[in-house]
Amino acid sequence: MINRTIKRIIAAAALVIISQVSTAGASSLPQDPLNSVMWENLAGRFFPGEIVIDQRVRVSAPHDAEDQMQVPITIDATDLDNVVEIVAIADLNPIPHILTLHPTRAQAFIGFRVKLEQASPIRVGVKTSDGVWHVNGVIVNAAGGGCTAPALAHGLDNWYKTLGQTRAITRRETADAARLSLRMRHPMDTGLAPGIPVFYLNTIEVTSPNGDELAKIEMFEPVSENPTLTLKPLVNDNISELLVYARDTEANEFRFSLPVSDTIDN
Amino acid sequence: MKNFKLLAVASALACATGLTSQVSADVGVADIVGDQASTGDIVSYGLGPRGQRYSPLSMINKENIKNLFPVWSFSFGGEKQRGQESQPLIKDGVMYVTGSYSRMWAIDIATGEELWQYDARLPEGILPCCDVVNRGAAILGDKVFFGTLDAKIVALDAKTGKVVWRKKIADFEAGYSYTAAPLIVPTEAHGPLILTGNSGGEFGVVGEVQARNPETGDLVWTRPVIEGHAGTLNGKETSITGGAANTSWPGDMWKNGGGAPWLGGTYDPDTKLAFFGTGNPAPWNSYLRPGDNKWTSSRVAINPENGEIEWGFQTTPHDGWDYDGVNEFVSFDMEKDGKMIKAGATADRNGFFYILDRTNGDFISATPFVKNITWAKGIDENGRPIWDPENRPGNPAESADGKKGKSIFAVPSFLGGKNWMPMAYSQDTNLFYIPSNEWGMDIWNEPVTYKKGAAYLGAGFTIKPIFDDYIGSLKAVDPTTGDIKWEYKNKAPLWGGVLTTGGGLVFTGTPEGFLKAFDEETGEELWKFQTGTGIVSSPITWEQDGEQYLTIVTGWGGAVPLWGGEVAKFVSYLNQGGSVWTFKIPEQLAGK
Repeated sequence: MINRTIKRIIAAAALVIISQVSTAGASSLPQDPLNSVMWENLAGRFFPGEIVIDQRVRVSAPHDAEDQMQVPITIDATDLDNVVEIVAIADLNPIPHILTLHPTRAQAFIGFRVKLEQASPIRVGVKTSDGVWHVNGVIVNAAGGGCTAPALAHGLDNWYKTLGQTRAITRRETADAARLSLRMRHPMDTGLAPGIPVFYLNTIEVTSPNGDELAKIEMFEPVSENPTLTLKPLVNDNISELLVYARDTEANEFRFSLPVSDTIDN
Repeated sequence: MKNFKLLAVASALACATGLTSQVSADVGVADIVGDQASTGDIVSYGLGPRGQRYSPLSMINKENIKNLFPVWSFSFGGEKQRGQESQPLIKDGVMYVTGSYSRMWAIDIATGEELWQYDARLPEGILPCCDVVNRGAAILGDKVFFGTLDAKIVALDAKTGKVVWRKKIADFEAGYSYTAAPLIVPTEAHGPLILTGNSGGEFGVVGEVQARNPETGDLVWTRPVIEGHAGTLNGKETSITGGAANTSWPGDMWKNGGGAPWLGGTYDPDTKLAFFGTGNPAPWNSYLRPGDNKWTSSRVAINPENGEIEWGFQTTPHDGWDYDGVNEFVSFDMEKDGKMIKAGATADRNGFFYILDRTNGDFISATPFVKNITWAKGIDENGRPIWDPENRPGNPAESADGKKGKSIFAVPSFLGGKNWMPMAYSQDTNLFYIPSNEWGMDIWNEPVTYKKGAAYLGAGFTIKPIFDDYIGSLKAVDPTTGDIKWEYKNKAPLWGGVLTTGGGLVFTGTPEGFLKAFDEETGEELWKFQTGTGIVSSPITWEQDGEQYLTIVTGWGGAVPLWGGEVAKFVSYLNQGGSVWTFKIPEQLAGK
């Protein structure tokens, strides 16, 4: 009991320091171009440190979502150099964090689909190696209910038999970059639909045949059912194959390889 | 706005520090072996691997039990209730408790607040025969382990509840499931191993014990308990159980012979043996499988080093009444005729209380612990039942149309003189406290053939109480004589485990919702508390910050409401629930 109290006191001291730092950060927050009520809260949570609003972070999304369960988003930050991390959030989703991309040896680019609970900013922070967050985003109008509705898989009584089934295509888009698109069967349950536990793909890694990490994605509940992803891994002449590894929150693991042609095809 | 954000950061940090300050030391296999003596934690199912369910703690005792009050109650929540048969684990101020529908929680004991929750994502079409229960977890290192209804075992990070690994024990679509608490045992050859049985006794599955590496979940050995099936060690085939097929089974019947060791096992550090009970043979219609049908309705002692069966003892050879032999085998040292015997005790579904020599499985004694047993006239000097041929259900082949054999009335019912609910053994009184039920059944046989994933019974049945005013019966039994020292009668059937303590107390719960404490010597009821829903789980007690705590999981369900027959009038009004109740003597009343 005494030990615990001491630890709590130490933790409390650390807390004060952290709070002061983040308070200082908050005071220098740039104004949110999307004018979101969540900006101050989310900026501190997801983009700790220096933040600049940067139009070089290009976020493409429909102005009005036709299907709030499958809203296509494309993030292109290839105009920035030395990108280490890309964080995508939906401000007004009950679970805001959509995904984080680590483009270790890949272009700063990702396409995916997201569930939206209501009209929301899609906000993207791109962290460069100097620690600065380059933030931009768009607002998507949507009808309600994307995150709290059951996945379509729940109409099927054998969804677990097709779990992880994947369709994918790669091509060499430029001399040194491939375009990889894949779609995996997975219900991506948010845990917010009544009686259905949380269950989603949370890790996707793309490596070269010799095991070098090209890109890693941490995914969260808002990514759409049967995730559709597009990445642009860097592939030099020696890489003729991409290895993909995926794991979900129940430790189901999926592995497959995709050939990359020698010739450029764009 | 800034203030709001500060608060949010503070609460996030408080959560994190709560975790780090409490999960301080990893559980080692020596902690599990020595669990009974270390009263500050509970890191095994049964309060020690022998399964005695005895705690030496005496801070709560006969004198002050009247001052025992709840500290907190924790709701499992959600829409999923049903039977809660779980025994929680305790480590460094955190409680790990499992619930119905393959769920698990970590709770901060100091406050009763949830630290994390894990819900297994179960597929459609799971086939649990007897309610969607789970009986508890295992803990080792920085992981907690439990089995899920789709016949998988999951390892979770004890701090976060995130899945570390998840492995398939068997094919749920063939009727397998998993409900027992896994058993962790030490070995010299492989380090600690995590042992599981499987469930699925009514679907023609083959019972098997599996041992895995707790770090990775990889299989180390497997041991099917049905004669004719080969075991494995490190991926290579080893011996055939029973030496060869067709020694005690006819034709191909052993291939779907049942024997599911669905209640898991116990471990004895003295003999270094793991004891697993095995389920009923399949199908129920015994005329389709003449012979003893080994090792169904048995206790088997397995060497954890290699998965070989060291000895087996069959309580109901050639079972025809669904008398599973799964009930826990509790190691204890018995003084009889001036000698100390390394004994083991088990209270069987068939109504007899067996004492065996746990070093070699030799039969010592068997005495009835329920009234009016009809299926056997007694147990002979070799431990075999003296069958009453009049009270085995008749052969349907001998009936006029071949569709239904003669119906007979058998005691106990197929739900057993005692079912899954574990008994307790007091090291102070040297008595066993057995939760039992007084009931019988009409049972008849029908033709049946095996079909994957379908019930494989070949029998019909209906359960009947023997007495008008009660079914449940908690008994104190002297293992040296079989004498019943005292009995507590309960209207509804008892379906919860028992705990006995150094404070001279025996605890158990009732379907009527009461957690009760009895005097270990006299059976006098000293205390009770109404938890609001039926109790079908096993109580635990431990010491934390200088105080003795007691916990029971509550939530009515299990096999009784599903199979009840005429018993329904004793239980049909009982309501479901799902919570954890934790008790201690309040500071203001301590010392009074």
